[in-house]
Amino acid sequence: MNLLLEYQSQLIDGTIMTIKLALTSLVIALIFGLLGAWAKLSANRLAQRLAGAYTTIVRGVPDLVLILLVFFGGQVTLNNIGAITGLWGYVEVSQFAAGAGTIGVIFGAYFTETFRGAIMAIPRGQIEAGISCGMRKSLIFRHIIWPQMVRFALPGFTNNWLVQLKTTALVSVIGLQDLVYNAFTAGRSTGQLFTFMAAAFVIYLLLTGVSDLLLRSVERHYNRGVVRA
Amino acid sequence: MFRRTILSSVAAIALSAVALPLAAQDTLRIGVEGAYPPFSSKESDGTLVGFDIDIAKALCAEMQRECELVEQEWDGMIPALKARKFDAIVASMSITEERKRQIDFSDKYYKTPARLVASKDADFEGTPEGLAGKRIGVQRGATHQCYAEKLFPDAEIVLYGSQDEVFRDLALGRVDAQLSDSLIAQESFLSAEAGADYAFLGGDHTDVECYGEGVGIAVRKGEDALREDLSKAIAAIRENGTYAEINDTYFPFDIYGGRPEGE
Repeated sequence: MNLLLEYQSQLIDGTIMTIKLALTSLVIALIFGLLGAWAKLSANRLAQRLAGAYTTIVRGVPDLVLILLVFFGGQVTLNNIGAITGLWGYVEVSQFAAGAGTIGVIFGAYFTETFRGAIMAIPRGQIEAGISCGMRKSLIFRHIIWPQMVRFALPGFTNNWLVQLKTTALVSVIGLQDLVYNAFTAGRSTGQLFTFMAAAFVIYLLLTGVSDLLLRSVERHYNRGVVRA
Repeated sequence: MFRRTILSSVAAIALSAVALPLAAQDTLRIGVEGAYPPFSSKESDGTLVGFDIDIAKALCAEMQRECELVEQEWDGMIPALKARKFDAIVASMSITEERKRQIDFSDKYYKTPARLVASKDADFEGTPEGLAGKRIGVQRGATHQCYAEKLFPDAEIVLYGSQDEVFRDLALGRVDAQLSDSLIAQESFLSAEAGADYAFLGGDHTDVECYGEGVGIAVRKGEDALREDLSKAIAAIRENGTYAEINDTYFPFDIYGGRPEGE
């Protein structure tokens, strides 16, 4: 316990890094997810194909492989291109951008499917009714699609978010000092690995517990007026 | 509006990914670890300490170069070196044939020698003749078994699955002596209660064929000038006493382990 207090700044820094990473990658994932769902449901063949390739590739490769590929491979490739074309010298891919970006793009693929399923769950007749009332596309989206899409997507969203929060632990491989990394180095440095891993365990549980509570109240909000069967 | 937001955030991500080109020439960036005490570990305020850290700083001072220590998790160490995240690795990395295919190494900066351990009142010497007919416990595998069989052909070599078992059977008197890494013997046996009546027997064993070349500083392939500078700096701090000073802060004996081949 004394050791945990002594190393508390390390644990707090790590926790903040984990939260920052998770939130940044969530924003990226939501953007990719909405774009992907839109592309998959659009009439445009090319958009459909691109989104299909995106979800197939990203969901088919281990997260760790992608992170390493982007962080190390991406930097080597950038520098090689620079060296061959002579356009730029040495460039550095930042660890945070690589980590948050990669996790965001990975989970964007899962959110694509979540959003697509949610939009498809909205009865087509409601949209047709909107059209027949003379509503414009934007109005239909705001008043018919969005509120129901959010409601249908929330359980899947919660699921994705919890997995994403835990996936941020992978970035310790690329040297980002997140909760797992800091707990591990502190544990190894003091010879009390178990103590620090237990602390990390509790902190992760707190983070997921809090997000579960918050998301449940959001879910209640979007379920106003819905009678459960 | 929506489209513009997306475009600008994509642009922002792209820009943050491609930071400004660094002046990689001036500052020497050294990759270190923080989870391998006593070679490298972290204080509670996040400061890096340890033998590797001190050696890295001493080498920079010797080479009169500005240095920056970059913390990197072990698994990503070699990829990060190759991706130019830093220019050298000072992280207790053993020089192996497999690694040499990817990266180059300076001369070793330490090689904890193997040593024999036996009872304090052993009436035999740690020589091939002294150990003829004795039972020597070693951990099975490419290093200590290789060397024990090579140097002590007349002794009975008893093989174990783990180093802990070797120490346990030595304490029980089932073997007369054991051969292992001297640092491990010191840290986990001799300084513990079980090893109170035991001591090192004879000197250092550093056979290159069985034990490899030791621990060196890794650099990217082709960076010969840097590699040679580092090797020279290692020799210099060995010479001027800086190395000994750092060594004595952490270890009860010299972990350099004899002179490199050809000296």
